[in-house]
Amino acid sequence: MADDGSASNRRDPIKSSVGNVAGQRRRQQAVTVAKERRELLVRAKRLCRVGTNGGDDEDALVENEMMIDEEQPVLEAQTIKAVEELKSAVQSQGKGAMQKRVTALRELRRLLSKSEFPPIDAALSSGAVPLLVQCLSFGSPDEQLLESAWCLTNIAAGKPEETKALLPALPLLIAHLGEKSSAPVAEQCAWAIGNVAGEGEELRNVLLSQGALPPLARMIFPDKGSTVRTAAWALSNLIKGPESKAAAQLVRVEGIVDAILRHLKKTDEEIATEIAWIVVYLSALSDIATSMLLKGGILQLLVERLATSNSLQLLIPVLRSLGNFVSVDPKAMLTILIGGENTEENVINVLAKCLRSEHRVLKKEAAWVLSNIAAGSIEHKRMIHSSEAMPLLLRLLSTSPFDIRKEVAYVLGNLCVESAEEGNARPRIIQEHLVSIVSGGCLRGFIDLVRSPDIEAARLGLQFIELVLRGMPNGEGPKLVEGEDGIDAMERFQFHENEELRVIANSLADKYFGEDYGINE
Amino acid sequence: MEVTQLLLNAQSIDGTVRKHAEENLKLFQSQNLAGFLLSLAGELANDEKPVDSRKLAGLVLKNALDAKEQHRKYELVQRWLSLDMATKTQIRAFLLKTLSSPVPDVRSTASQVIAKVAGIELPQNQWPELVGSLLSNIHQLPAHVKQATLETLGYLCEEVSPDVVEQEHVNKILTAVVQGMNAAEGNNDVRLAATRALYMALGFAQANFNNDMERDYIMRVVCEATLSPEVKIRQAAFECLVSIASTYYEKLAHYMQDIFNITAKAVREDDESVALQAIEFWSSICDEEIDILEEYGGEFTGDSDVPCFYFTKQALPALVPLLLETLLKQEEDQDLDEGAWNIAMAGGTCLGLVARAVGDDIVPHVMPFIEEKISKPDWREREAATYAFGSILEGPSADKLMTIVNAALTFMLNALTKDPSNHVKDTTAWTLGRIFEFLHGSTIETPIITQANCQQIITVLIQSMKDAPNVAEKACGALYFLAQGYEDIGPNSPLTPFFQEIIQSLLAVAHREDATESRLRTAAYEALNEVVRCSTDETSTMVLQLVPVIMLELHNTLEGDKLSSDEREKQNELQGLLCGCLQVIIQKLGSEPTKYVFMQHADQMMGLFLRVFGCRSATAHEEAMLAIGALAYAAGPDFAKYMPEFYKYLEMGLQNFEEYQVCAVTVGVIGDICRALEDKILPYCDGIMTQLLKDLSSNQLHRSVKPPIFSCFGDIALAIGENFEKYINYSMPMLQSAAELSAHASGADDEMTEYTNSLRNGILEGRGGDEDSDWGVGDLADTLGSHVGGLIQQSVSSKEFLNECLSSDDHTIKEAAEWAKHAITRAISV
Repeated sequence: MADDGSASNRRDPIKSSVGNVAGQRRRQQAVTVAKERRELLVRAKRLCRVGTNGGDDEDALVENEMMIDEEQPVLEAQTIKAVEELKSAVQSQGKGAMQKRVTALRELRRLLSKSEFPPIDAALSSGAVPLLVQCLSFGSPDEQLLESAWCLTNIAAGKPEETKALLPALPLLIAHLGEKSSAPVAEQCAWAIGNVAGEGEELRNVLLSQGALPPLARMIFPDKGSTVRTAAWALSNLIKGPESKAAAQLVRVEGIVDAILRHLKKTDEEIATEIAWIVVYLSALSDIATSMLLKGGILQLLVERLATSNSLQLLIPVLRSLGNFVSVDPKAMLTILIGGENTEENVINVLAKCLRSEHRVLKKEAAWVLSNIAAGSIEHKRMIHSSEAMPLLLRLLSTSPFDIRKEVAYVLGNLCVESAEEGNARPRIIQEHLVSIVSGGCLRGFIDLVRSPDIEAARLGLQFIELVLRGMPNGEGPKLVEGEDGIDAMERFQFHENEELRVIANSLADKYFGEDYGINE
Repeated sequence: MEVTQLLLNAQSIDGTVRKHAEENLKLFQSQNLAGFLLSLAGELANDEKPVDSRKLAGLVLKNALDAKEQHRKYELVQRWLSLDMATKTQIRAFLLKTLSSPVPDVRSTASQVIAKVAGIELPQNQWPELVGSLLSNIHQLPAHVKQATLETLGYLCEEVSPDVVEQEHVNKILTAVVQGMNAAEGNNDVRLAATRALYMALGFAQANFNNDMERDYIMRVVCEATLSPEVKIRQAAFECLVSIASTYYEKLAHYMQDIFNITAKAVREDDESVALQAIEFWSSICDEEIDILEEYGGEFTGDSDVPCFYFTKQALPALVPLLLETLLKQEEDQDLDEGAWNIAMAGGTCLGLVARAVGDDIVPHVMPFIEEKISKPDWREREAATYAFGSILEGPSADKLMTIVNAALTFMLNALTKDPSNHVKDTTAWTLGRIFEFLHGSTIETPIITQANCQQIITVLIQSMKDAPNVAEKACGALYFLAQGYEDIGPNSPLTPFFQEIIQSLLAVAHREDATESRLRTAAYEALNEVVRCSTDETSTMVLQLVPVIMLELHNTLEGDKLSSDEREKQNELQGLLCGCLQVIIQKLGSEPTKYVFMQHADQMMGLFLRVFGCRSATAHEEAMLAIGALAYAAGPDFAKYMPEFYKYLEMGLQNFEEYQVCAVTVGVIGDICRALEDKILPYCDGIMTQLLKDLSSNQLHRSVKPPIFSCFGDIALAIGENFEKYINYSMPMLQSAAELSAHASGADDEMTEYTNSLRNGILEGRGGDEDSDWGVGDLADTLGSHVGGLIQQSVSSKEFLNECLSSDDHTIKEAAEWAKHAITRAISV
């Protein structure tokens, strides 16, 4: 309440000290940077903020993380205006018309590139797409093609229905992927297509039916850095399934397997990362691709990458690919295992390195690969059991987050039994492994899993308890289980709604802890 | 002891007596609240009692009804509502009776207390007869009672929201107020009270402004009051006009000619207090038009609620000369006084707004003035010309300004070195800064800074940094915008050859003995920050060399002890600036390829930041936190080694409800740390989550901090994956109740709406953060998906909340909501 009863209207003078604005702006910027980093963690599509033709552009942008978002309404108004400009530029004829179009496109592209939340909605509702499609027509100068493809790229990076708005542009974008286009144009078109493919199955099918895959695949043949990276990323989005037909189509492109292997062999980690994602999907979705890649010696390449790289971005797809190959063809892995047994690139030791990593994701993926290896032959199991991975696994079972614990439990469990054969309900126990693993203190970890609400983990725990009860020498199993509160853990399943678990738990309790239990004490 | 004596003793100059009285008052209040309030009201109403005890009685009563802090206010409201009706009726009667007291101060206090009671009771439908009884026989009242009644109505309108007063009552209030303002009212006190009451009541007059006759009448009375012989009445009347300009912009067309004449006369002839309000009227009109034009891009007025009437454009030929005249009325030392505000400053500020509202059209109206006066012998004329030029640089297009600016640049650089007047140099340096701010940068087609003049510009600016503090401060500002214009420049910056010299000069300025005058030191460091931020890889070695220098400075600020409180304050300000500087450097150097060399300083730097926390200054604390956030991002998982020691300051920050900016920054830094540490943050999560949940449930913490907390849940969930599961049962009800709060808040006031909007953003981000799939991890959705999904599906109101967001106008909410919807659908389908 104004005490003198007068409301004094007073504003900040136009001539003010820079310190007032600057400090505020700097602090705001720190927050914006953090927000953009958060966004980066969860974004599937990629906004193009810096040109693909690297550096020679007079307005090439640097330090994209340092840009400031303009006020959204301002940005939107500017965008609507830019689309209007483009409209009149597209309609104008004769001298200077081309330059006018490029200028208008560049302005629109600038607006669509500067903010973490580009004004896509404004661009779409003012009718940008038909104009951009027109600017993509054959015979247009490269600069015009590049700018319109760039605009489309960032429109496609938006929300689902915004991505869908690109449908009319797809045929021309695909057409410009061909060898006749200049590299920057082809790359920008690939980027736009990558964003469309990232949206989902429906749009992927449209792209495939319009023939996007073969030219995109051929773009990764040469050694041109950024083109290969962008094309490979787009390709990985296009084949990511869950349907397998795109992956199958990709293997049929002549020379693709060679190109993949060549890029994996070379040192550029960024390219290798995108290529490795292609390998992830191929190995998951196509048997033909898997066997061709294995024949080409991909396992060796993946293991080398794993041994030499420190890039999380690269290691994740490499590990996933390895896991995929191992589960399809354990024998191939054995060859590698035995081949590299005493070298620095010993697979198991490389995986142990990942288990030691600080990144949860790497630990989990590495444990998963190991569990696939551990599911293999007796040689596989021996190899792991005698490796430096063992103490790590035992420690992870008691200390790591749940999802990693579960993968580790699979590894340890698999090490203790021979691989199941058809119709053999109770796998044979490898007693030597079981004894050493139990004496390593893992029983507690398995019993904790039994208490987990996750059915799969609980089953795993119960199965391991069964091994201990049945397989520990001198019948010391029941004592050990009881000592770790295993009886209590099993009792939870006495009336459990899951029948399978209820039966396992109850029959174990009856068999090993029935009326006779403890009488000999 | 009776209450009169207690109240008098409470104002005694003898500290013991005062303290004793205060304690007794507190005791009385705690033992018998109703009796206490009643005796205060009785005291206030009793004309036989001393004025001093009555005034304090009123004040204590008022403070028993309202408080600044939200939670305290809420308690007081509840307490009043729970009093028995008999007591309240008696208190109300005392208050109304006081309005007819012959003592002006006592009447005024009673007015304010009545408004507070009304603020509590009217929304509850209590005291419905208040307005009626105030107005019942207003025409027959003696002047002093009429004045008090009008004042009460004014406060009442300020206190309660328009929707709790019936239109019938609004009409009565406005009728009484406008009649009180009428020239026919002979008593100036009554007229002044009525004019001030109208100012408060304008928000209630929506319906009346829609009615042509009523509006005409109100406008006529307001305009007449601007001509009153009494200066306070004229000022109050112009304040009404200012408020009408922004509240009823679209109703003004009919009156603009008259208003222009009135305001022009006031600007030219009236007292400064009145002239300032007359200028403010035009500034407010510009504000409205700038908003409308920015929002709808001018041509799309069809879609907007309020069309642009282009009042500024129409008034341009007469308005601009009027404003230019004011520029010549500078005060001698206005540049040295940070709080100065006078007619010349207001006129220039308004001119700047006019330029933004009309764009190119302003240029021909201002240029002759500039050309005529820029070289005159009288410093006032040169300064006014320069100020006019600087004011119109934002708004007109670059095309329109470019030739003029190019021609002026050399002149300005010359004036900055040679003009004998400190004022002229100050304004010249500021104008250069404006040129660089608006006409230099990657979006401008023909650069005004070229290879040919770059060196000269920098030399002049550096030289001016040695001038008087106010001029040097403006030169730093110009350098700030000069550097900013090169932020998108690419690998080769024209500043590179001068980089070393610029840095050295800025450090030298910061170390000037008089650097604390005119905020010079702040400007120097902020310019340094901007130069560093916008620098390229070419100069990263030099930035690297800056690290130990700034660290040493920060270290030195931590050494001094036995400082006076004034020195300490300056010291803390400096610490904040240095931490801010380090934050910018960390962001610059904390990535490849400088990261490894840079990180060698990390331990020491962290040590310094922790010591800054020890100084307990909010600004320095906030800046140090931000710097640590940047450091965490650069250090990645290695940041874990600082956590054991840093954790207690995190906790301290989260508990800092008083200085809530510190709390807000801390919440943000937790996000940075989550991204840096990933699951290594786990050991600290119980503590952090506990504190965050406490913060959320506290009604003492400023509400603006709460939305970021929801986002922070998302950051934590992303970092620790399934380990977040154990917090879901605690955090979901919070998200839930926040959702309910924002669903129920019916936009009572703008601030609340804004809060609600940011709250929704936060909630959705928090949920969205639980989703994490396409970058190759893909396991969070597996582990969390089913839980979150279940909880969300169960809660109907969160669904409604989402739907409400989707139909909301605010685009950021919509965006977050779309994303959350997507995320939730996926989470549920797992």
